[in-house]
Amino acid sequence: MNIQCEDRERIFRDGSAEEWAALETHAAACPACAEELRGWRQLSDAAAELRDYRESPALWSRIEASLREQAGPAAGRGKLARFFDSWRRGSHAWQFALASALVVVLAVTGGYLYIHRVPQTTNASNKLLKSGALKEVERTEREYMAAIDKLAGDAGPQLNADTPLMASYREKLVVLDSAIAELRAQAGENPSNAHLRYQLLAMYQEKQQTLEDILETKR
Amino acid sequence: MGSVGLTLPWEHRISGAVPVRERRVEPSESRAETERPTADRSLDASVAAACLSGNLQGYEQLYRWQGSRMKNLARNLLSSPTDAEDAVQETFLKIQRNIASFRGQSSFVTWTFRVLVNTCHDLRRARMRRKDYASEDVESLQPANVPRAAVSHPSLRMALERALERLTVHQRDVFLLYEVEGFRHAEIAGMLEISETASKNTLFQAKKNLRALLEPPRSAGAGGRQ
Repeated sequence: MNIQCEDRERIFRDGSAEEWAALETHAAACPACAEELRGWRQLSDAAAELRDYRESPALWSRIEASLREQAGPAAGRGKLARFFDSWRRGSHAWQFALASALVVVLAVTGGYLYIHRVPQTTNASNKLLKSGALKEVERTEREYMAAIDKLAGDAGPQLNADTPLMASYREKLVVLDSAIAELRAQAGENPSNAHLRYQLLAMYQEKQQTLEDILETKR
Repeated sequence: MGSVGLTLPWEHRISGAVPVRERRVEPSESRAETERPTADRSLDASVAAACLSGNLQGYEQLYRWQGSRMKNLARNLLSSPTDAEDAVQETFLKIQRNIASFRGQSSFVTWTFRVLVNTCHDLRRARMRRKDYASEDVESLQPANVPRAAVSHPSLRMALERALERLTVHQRDVFLLYEVEGFRHAEIAGMLEISETASKNTLFQAKKNLRALLEPPRSAGAGGRQ
């Protein structure tokens, strides 16, 4: 292959193996091309100076902790998102078939339940709190709320930090507070409903756990 | 994973592994551009599958495989080891958040590095906005003050880093991805969402500019036809 000085830049840009070999042969007799070739290769040599593949011992544990934190609050949403994503990826025929099957199952189940429905009688009374127990529950609930408010006060400074993690916690607390407010409103209308009280308790426990997690990050 | 010596032909270079500290064999790469070792492809697929299933071990595998390479690229793009670690961490979080959008149109590593490069650009822009690095007066950099990149020397790295700062963003990205991290043009094209030809042209321009920045003016006779 006959290579001229004019071909040099084109070879530097996108030369084949044969062209590079021919350029080397040409450079052996051409000082200008030899100098250019040497300079070009020196840059590749110099690039090695920018390689530093030393381990960062703590980096993976840091990344792992943040991945776990991110997966935590969003785990349920992630599974749902993956479910709907896989649903979207399916063909229309499959989507139609699955939807039809779902409608049939719902119709059969609904019909069966309607036919075999049990008349609602006095079972609900078992779920009602007697007045003495109700007062005890309300007193304990007030104390529990006061304790959680104190916990919220302690976590306040940490919670106000401008980090993605804290933003996620703030969002979670807003959702929990909203659910608590709604349940309390329902409990106010129906104070003897033990089921509502259990739900409320679960929300308080979740809020308490969240606040403790926030305080834990501080430590 | 093998190492690449100067005597090995170009097509034996293993792109998926962390490159070794040896001189890169000059192109002749046109035959190798579309090839990837089977072991790499299968590891890539298994890591992608593990991450898609939400398994944290998949992310750990990705980190063990590409973490140091990711950190090195981020450090070179951001000129700060601390920011580089933040960028790698943020990249993993973005991957976890957006894993459902990975459709396998490129390799998982290519997709990962695309996220990393974009994260580094975002961090860099944010840093510029904060003017944290106002003292790094890029304008004061004069090529005449930069030592010549002739032999391996403690100042060579610094000189190269400062010269890289003077390239365009794309030139810097392509140079680092190709010459330092050892990616192929096809892979770089996927990461930067450009064509392979654009990647080759950008690399050529980057090296030409770097030579001008790193070498003192040559005598008229030595300049050749460049």
